[in-house]
Amino acid sequence: MKYVGKLECLLIALIAITLFNTLLGERFSSSTLVSILIALTVTYKGFVVIDHFMELKEANKNLRFLMKLYLTVFPSLIIISALY
Amino acid sequence: MKSYPINSSLGIFPKSWSEKSAGKVPGNIPIWVGILSELTEFGIFFVAYFVAKFYYPDVFSQGPQQLNTSLGVINTIVLLSSSYFMAKAMSFIRLDNLKKCERHLWLALGCGGLYLIIKTWEFYWNNLQGFSTDTSEFFTLYYFMTFNHFLHVGWASCAILWVIFRLRSGAYSAKDNSGLEALAVYWHMIDLMWILIFPLLYVLR
Repeated sequence: MKYVGKLECLLIALIAITLFNTLLGERFSSSTLVSILIALTVTYKGFVVIDHFMELKEANKNLRFLMKLYLTVFPSLIIISALY
Repeated sequence: MKSYPINSSLGIFPKSWSEKSAGKVPGNIPIWVGILSELTEFGIFFVAYFVAKFYYPDVFSQGPQQLNTSLGVINTIVLLSSSYFMAKAMSFIRLDNLKKCERHLWLALGCGGLYLIIKTWEFYWNNLQGFSTDTSEFFTLYYFMTFNHFLHVGWASCAILWVIFRLRSGAYSAKDNSGLEALAVYWHMIDLMWILIFPLLYVLR
């Protein structure tokens, strides 16, 4: 049997989250809860790519901070925009 | 005058930014200057999106429902897969397995090409529905963001071809692969931008 490594598991998780987000958007019309869920999952997806695909987890801490800040600020705007 | 100890990579950063203090810079400093510039550019698009959404909430609520969501989902999966293949290519070059590295670079390139084909089809489909840049404020931003992203995938795909050529000519090895790594982080940045664009344009109502 072929070994399923960490990267394979993360890819499956990222695809599953994408499908889940799409389902949320399609099934439930605009609600604050949906927007919050989508924003949180977008941040999570971003963090996975930053840490494991870009390999910043063990690399330069300033670059990792900047990238994570970016993937925190813009999804936060999704939540803020949902509140108005 | 106060002098700062310099970063060994380029010599323009204070000590706290040095590789010794902050950790290794994947790829090289110039590619990160490029990446941070691109992030700023896309950041301006995202701010424009939220400002426009604030002023035209109805238009931005209806807009995503008029798009072909399936094509957006497929393209997201294609780009995530391309990032995976790129990460695998990096892991194989570190093992000096040039054959498998090249195979995964071709797979990443294939995903990039597939993305471009699907996106072109989506633009064509939109055109058939009568949507264009001046249909509404939503579509103006949609075309602005997605076409810009399309261009990034296009030239990064060309860069993958270049890296494959360099790999074949023996330019990269387990010890020396910073050029390949620079392309990999740039490619992942493009994937990250799509991770943000996709929910904004296709999912959120």
